[in-house]
Amino acid sequence: MQKPIATTRSATGIPTGRLAVWWVLASEVVIFGGLLASYLMFRLGHPEWADAAAVTNTWIGAFNTLVLLSSSFTAVLAHQAAENGDGKLAARYLLMTIAGAATFLLVKSYEWASEIVHGYTITTNGFWSFYYTAAGLHAAHVLAGAVIMGFIAADAARGKELHRVELIGIYWHFVDVVWIFLFPLLYIAK
Amino acid sequence: MSSHSERKDEHDAHHPDYKKIYVTLLVLLVISVAGPFFGIVWVTLITAFGVALVKASLVVQNFMHLRWEKRIMKWMLATSLVLMIMLFAGVAPDVMKHEGRGWVNDAAVAAVTRGIEAPHHEGEATAEEEGVVEGGASEEAAAPAGQAFDAKTAYATVCATCHGPTGAGDGPGAAALNPKPANFGGAAFWNGKTDDELVKVIREGGAAVGKSPLMPAWGGLYSEAQAQALVAYIKTFRK
Repeated sequence: MQKPIATTRSATGIPTGRLAVWWVLASEVVIFGGLLASYLMFRLGHPEWADAAAVTNTWIGAFNTLVLLSSSFTAVLAHQAAENGDGKLAARYLLMTIAGAATFLLVKSYEWASEIVHGYTITTNGFWSFYYTAAGLHAAHVLAGAVIMGFIAADAARGKELHRVELIGIYWHFVDVVWIFLFPLLYIAK
Repeated sequence: MSSHSERKDEHDAHHPDYKKIYVTLLVLLVISVAGPFFGIVWVTLITAFGVALVKASLVVQNFMHLRWEKRIMKWMLATSLVLMIMLFAGVAPDVMKHEGRGWVNDAAVAAVTRGIEAPHHEGEATAEEEGVVEGGASEEAAAPAGQAFDAKTAYATVCATCHGPTGAGDGPGAAALNPKPANFGGAAFWNGKTDDELVKVIREGGAAVGKSPLMPAWGGLYSEAQAQALVAYIKTFRK
């Protein structure tokens, strides 16, 4: 009960911390949604983009999807552990989630590096511009989530602020959901 | 699911079988990767986007616990989604269409033409290789790979928009233009015109030779040689 502000209930009946995370996500829906919707309308108007999309590596995209789905799984297990009052276990699951984030970013850097040396940069054409913007904004969210998760895991390991484990989890699942849509848009639709 | 709905905090009480959901997500992932191998467009669309919707909803409902969340939260998120769909519905028609009543998006039409005519369409190269040719290419570099250049197709997709399919200056875009696009059928047009002058107009625009500035410069799209091929082609309209 050190931080009653985030655990008491707001007028909505939702703990204020969780309410705040939902608000963040509601605005993220518009940020990512607007970006993906713009991509979609340009893609539909430009059949030639399919040639650029043909270059993206489906296997790398699929592997990163697997990584993010797995990290969501460990994030929700952390949430469950936190609710059972097991901060140590929650912290361990959060560390596994962070490892997933690190794997995702490493694979992403390898992927981008090989694309850039082949001459596909953010200025090559419209497709690559969207590719780097959308995946880049998403990767920034992965990085931010991993950093915050580190702080929360450190607290959780000492049994402190366990309610935050759920909050970072909700955010993390959202980042996963964004990738679930980016994957078919950038990799599968050739 | 809501067998034990305690008054105090319904939200926290629910933990579905996460492992089962995780395995379902992995199976769906395999399906979405396998989809394109059938080579049928609608199958790919379903396995790519239909499956993505199912995956997203599984994550949102069970991992984010939205199904046990207070109703106000669902409405709030739904509002965000609806706003986004309104943005798409409002903007998409103008972006996806490249011409309409009295307007033509020249740059978009040219970009499509440039992309469709890119040389790799002729080759047998693998996706990776052809991408290397095309991907690093700036507008200038895309043009010289000339063996695939077909003046007739280029005319039909780019020039005919204003100059008309038979060169009579009566394309769909002509209605909005003043002065009107040149009529390649008339003797008046050819009077005293040199090839070099026409190549210059195609590559640098009408304004470069004191003609209508509404004739865009296509130098980024067509090399010198390709512009010459276009000049040779429009001569066939001469009556």
